[in-house]
Amino acid sequence: MSYKDFLNPWIILPTFLFALFVVPVIWIIFSLFGNYSDNWVHIYNYTLSGYIYNTALIIIGTSIGTLIIGVGSAWLVTTYNFTGKKFLEWALLLPFAVPPYILAYTFTGLFDSYGTANNLVRDLFSLPNEFIFFPKLRNVYGASIVFSFTLYPYVYLVSRMAFINQSRSMLEVGRTLGYNKFQIFYKLSIPAIRPAIIAGLMLVLMETISDFGAVEHFAVNTFTTGIFSAWFGLYDFHTAKQLAALLLIVVISFLILEKYSRRKSRYSSGSNVFSPIAAEKLNGFQNIFASLFCFIPVFVGFILPNIQLGYWALNYKLDFFNEKFISTAWNTFYLAITAALICAMLAVIINFSIRYKKNKVLNVMSSFLTVGYAVPGLILALGVSQLLVFMDNLIFRDYLNFILTGSIYGLILAFIIKSFALANSTIESGFLRINHKIDDVARSLNTPGWKLLFRIHLPLLTTSFLTSMILVVSEVIKELPASLILRPFNFDTLAVSTYIYAAEERMFDAAAPSIAIVAVGLLPIFVLSRLIVKSRPGYRNNDNHYQSY
Amino acid sequence: MSIITKSIQICLAIFIFSASSLANEVNLYSGRHYDSDEKLYAKFTEQTGIKVNVISGKGKALMQQIITEGASSPADLFITVDAGNLWKAQKEGLFHTITSSAVDNIVPANLRGPNNEWVALAKRARIMYYNPRTVSEAELEGLTYEDLAKPEWNGRVVIRKSSNMYNQSLVSSLVANHGVEATEAWANGIVANMARKPEGNDRAQIMAVANGEADIAVANSYYIALMLSGKKGDEQQVAANKVVPYFPGQDGRGTHINISGVGLLKNGPNKGNGVKLIEFLLSEEAQNHIVNNSFEYPLLDSVSPHPLIAQFGTDFKQDQTPVSAYGEFNPDAVKLMERAGW
Repeated sequence: MSYKDFLNPWIILPTFLFALFVVPVIWIIFSLFGNYSDNWVHIYNYTLSGYIYNTALIIIGTSIGTLIIGVGSAWLVTTYNFTGKKFLEWALLLPFAVPPYILAYTFTGLFDSYGTANNLVRDLFSLPNEFIFFPKLRNVYGASIVFSFTLYPYVYLVSRMAFINQSRSMLEVGRTLGYNKFQIFYKLSIPAIRPAIIAGLMLVLMETISDFGAVEHFAVNTFTTGIFSAWFGLYDFHTAKQLAALLLIVVISFLILEKYSRRKSRYSSGSNVFSPIAAEKLNGFQNIFASLFCFIPVFVGFILPNIQLGYWALNYKLDFFNEKFISTAWNTFYLAITAALICAMLAVIINFSIRYKKNKVLNVMSSFLTVGYAVPGLILALGVSQLLVFMDNLIFRDYLNFILTGSIYGLILAFIIKSFALANSTIESGFLRINHKIDDVARSLNTPGWKLLFRIHLPLLTTSFLTSMILVVSEVIKELPASLILRPFNFDTLAVSTYIYAAEERMFDAAAPSIAIVAVGLLPIFVLSRLIVKSRPGYRNNDNHYQSY
Repeated sequence: MSIITKSIQICLAIFIFSASSLANEVNLYSGRHYDSDEKLYAKFTEQTGIKVNVISGKGKALMQQIITEGASSPADLFITVDAGNLWKAQKEGLFHTITSSAVDNIVPANLRGPNNEWVALAKRARIMYYNPRTVSEAELEGLTYEDLAKPEWNGRVVIRKSSNMYNQSLVSSLVANHGVEATEAWANGIVANMARKPEGNDRAQIMAVANGEADIAVANSYYIALMLSGKKGDEQQVAANKVVPYFPGQDGRGTHINISGVGLLKNGPNKGNGVKLIEFLLSEEAQNHIVNNSFEYPLLDSVSPHPLIAQFGTDFKQDQTPVSAYGEFNPDAVKLMERAGW
């Protein structure tokens, strides 16, 4: 290896960016090397096993839930035609606009013993006050249901994208082998898109792990509530950081395991002739089943909570939609788009560098940055502050007369660290599906790297690029307690308005901004999912030749 | 790819975007997020010409942010809804003494920091709500927080989770008075007496009593007024009429009091304006605004609480345990509650 292998823009640029983005994560993990306070004795003896047990149960429940809903519905809408498919195909993305904690709040508003749904049942059948029809939701099962119905779109989106890119020849092979519809699904299609599904599932799990709002509302003690109990209750931020670091190490090992497990397989389509899957028409019972299967997630994850929110907002607070709302919505929107664009571009550059330069160091570092997604937002925010203060003292204050702390750049930095995993997972699986022969051909023609990236890879990655933007946009819009403390003075985002109220269970006040989040979140989902459909291989007749290398 | 080009343009626009700095301003990190507070700050700006900049969030997170920012922190004032955070910030050495005769004259000694680093802005009581059909007069006679752990309340009590700040402050005050061991025995009794697993906020506890799930709830005083006001819907208004508030400890230490408070930060660039804002918040006008919007109790004798809360009595005996004890014993309180499985 010569120095040229290192002094190369494809290595220097990503490494520099990494150094910047990875610092807050490292800062958290480094707390493990500090002192351990006496509070550890208390945590170890009384609370830790409960945190681990509940977190594990929720992870298992949510994995099963999101896989069934996400993969099942993606398969149905890609392979079959059934009643309402045109609508359901994109409506299945709608729950993206609903954060888990909002669904949790509306669920208790509906299904608690004196909730709207129970009252309705009692009124309908004139039953006594003590009668409770719906089972209690404030437990690990309720939490798993909430996570499954709000987070399945991650799995749905990546699986659908992978199914769309799957060639019809796969199905034809299945039919030749005499498989029925279900066998084709789980014996051929599923194994072929396994990396995409697992990537989607990892996102679901990381978001589940970092969630605080929903589990706190359901009074379930998880690892994250433990982190906050140490911080807010025991006044011990250091121990809270150490707990967060332990959680991160678990996540990192999962990520490494996942990378390792698919190390040897190359999942690019070997077929020379790509032909899109032609959807088959379903009839009778199968038609009803498919429609229902795809409608239920939309109903539970989107329609139901919005009915409840609408009811709250209409009854108690509509003065939210004033001129301040416009500036708040605009702040939210451009922050989201900016973060999404930067994340997607970063992910492309980094993954290209890993692929083109076979950069092993970058590969490991990429796992590090990905875990940012699993860090509870508040803790991550403080890591970012630490970095900003350090950079201010080092360069900005004296030499550039500018202070990063409390500026919008810190906020964007936090968004990028938090949501890089989202962009990375889709871009990564997008790259995996590009045939390596293309690179080999380009190399043999002495095509420079940037040309390969911009002229060949990027056009092939359009779907992945847009998908990753959707993921980041919806993440930034709906979540992030980090923006609570990193935002500039007097700078509100919709999530901030909602979060402040919702965290105190003032749902009547939170309803209007929640609806606004959903509304603003729908716009990019709608536009980008349109673009994805258009970018489907075979959609544009003239551009089809990309696929036939 | 026009959407990408557009987004790049937006991106660049943000880099041009930069915060302009006004000299005459005051910066708040606030754990209180009531919409009504914004109107209050607007009044202050109107009177003094000082612009009020606010970042609101969770108290502890804001405090950590102040610590992280260190000397470059822009925050002048730290506002919280509990005494514990103020005590902790004082311990961390974040505060500066407030020099103001108004503050000295108005705020009682048990409701401010040892060197006037922080002061109370409003008071709230942590009281009980009972169902008059199932709880007898005799049972209420001289009832204290301590009594709720007795066997006669088995299966009748609702109270929210131990992670809640208001509960932590209440239990800290018990630790301050009885020590850890006795308080832990009490916490075990409370857990045994719970009508259900702790869940929901203070209002959910009151609703549980109204709906017959439990006989008695512990919750903050302003919730009853908030529910009665109808601001939170007819359902809650109806429920609020089914319960009766009760001020515990009248024959003993008195009812547990917590505060909304404010501290002056030593690294703040506009400390002078900060003191002006504190003085304004303790003025008659501001106190009236606060009590009429949040249904808290005022610090000024000349201001009376909102009628919806005043109807339940204003001259009840208040526990004189210094609120700074809430912060001091908070970790002990949390640990003993967690051990009790609260």
